[in-house]
Amino acid sequence: MRTSAGGIAATIVALFLGVLVVTQVRSQDVYSRSLQLETPASLTTLIANLSDRNNSLRDEIFDLRLRVTAARDSVANGQGSLTESQREIDQLKIFAAVSPARGQGITVKIDGTFDDRAMSDLVNELRNAGAEAIAVNDMRIGPRSWLGPGPDRTIILDGRQLNGPWTVKAIGSSDVVYVAITRTGGIEGQFQLIYPRTRFAVAKETTLDVAAVATPR
Amino acid sequence: MTTVAAAPDPKRQRLQHALALVLPAMLFGFLVTAQWQGQQERSQIAVRYNAPLTDAAFALQKEQNDLKAQLQDLRAQLDQIQASAASQSGAASDLAKRLGELKAQAGLSALSGDGVVVQLDDSHTVAPGATNLDQAICHSTDLTDILNTAWRGGARAISVNAQRVVSSTSVYCVGSTIMVNGTLLSPPFNIAVIGPQDSVLGAFDDPNQLRDIKARRDVQGLGFRVTRASTITVPAYDGALTVRIAVPQ
Repeated sequence: MRTSAGGIAATIVALFLGVLVVTQVRSQDVYSRSLQLETPASLTTLIANLSDRNNSLRDEIFDLRLRVTAARDSVANGQGSLTESQREIDQLKIFAAVSPARGQGITVKIDGTFDDRAMSDLVNELRNAGAEAIAVNDMRIGPRSWLGPGPDRTIILDGRQLNGPWTVKAIGSSDVVYVAITRTGGIEGQFQLIYPRTRFAVAKETTLDVAAVATPR
Repeated sequence: MTTVAAAPDPKRQRLQHALALVLPAMLFGFLVTAQWQGQQERSQIAVRYNAPLTDAAFALQKEQNDLKAQLQDLRAQLDQIQASAASQSGAASDLAKRLGELKAQAGLSALSGDGVVVQLDDSHTVAPGATNLDQAICHSTDLTDILNTAWRGGARAISVNAQRVVSSTSVYCVGSTIMVNGTLLSPPFNIAVIGPQDSVLGAFDDPNQLRDIKARRDVQGLGFRVTRASTITVPAYDGALTVRIAVPQ
């Protein structure tokens, strides 16, 4: 069969047309997320996380049932529910960060280049690991705290400038929080790759003290 | 009589040749593209083997919802007992008042007021498998950046898809799945922010804030919109308090 220049051109156009038609049809299916698309490793991590959360909820439900019974008995005996209320107040003072706190935990010392977004990621990771009270350079992180970049590579926490090196204190189960931060592929390893000249030192501590938030909002 | 066949028209002949090529070429193009994209479908089919793990994750999420409902019920019972005790003595009344203040500070009470609503969503214009897919979808760090900006703007209370943001809140990402307060969430994310509207909007409008998100909105079509909203309600935190180690000083 004799091939003309027009035939070749038409063939090329048609080839692209075929590609475009299929691509266009497919692009109507926008990306949608689904657990079915996760890898088994990711799903296993998700399941572990959900299990941990559910265990915490079960523990609190168990504890709260006892407290409800005790408070009901106290009121019935005309004693009020002072003890139960005081326990709840102590717990909420820690949770709202309005009281100084003490307990076991870990410290993360950061010496070298670092920034506010990385610090935000570290705080997020510590919270996910179950840290109950966190402070950076002895300044408590509150429920409404924010981080930003400061001058000369410093970090701003709630409007106050924090100069490096930074020490992050996190009260919580020291074994659990330590493993969460230092595990293979964990945030410490990621930081070491991103900031190769910065020294990160993570240590378990038997007793840590952190202050209350400077100005509760 | 002899018949002389008419000489073929050269123009018509060229057209026939061209047409003869066009159809197979279109078919070829169709097949090449379908085959290429089929590679991605096969990887999706492969993950069907994840079904038991996916079922387990959904079952745990359902269990979590039930546990949270039980917890809320118990908290309400304790509140009722404490309110009843408050009427018995002055000391109990003071404690009840202090408890109310602390619950508000900690995020254990629902709050209503004016503020802004931020919507964050995956791009709806990108094809699956596109090379820029990573830029076109929302990540956990986008959410933490938005929360940080809202607090910076003076927010008093925030929720993400009805999950109240409190001192223990983490935004966790596994694969492409995002968890807030340990609860599985999917886009679109509606972030309700109660606070001084001008100040919060000012923080979001600041060109130095959320530069990455704004660039991805403009280039990849990432969904990101901040709007003023009246009388929005942010629910109370319904998770565990998880204060087991730390003691107040």
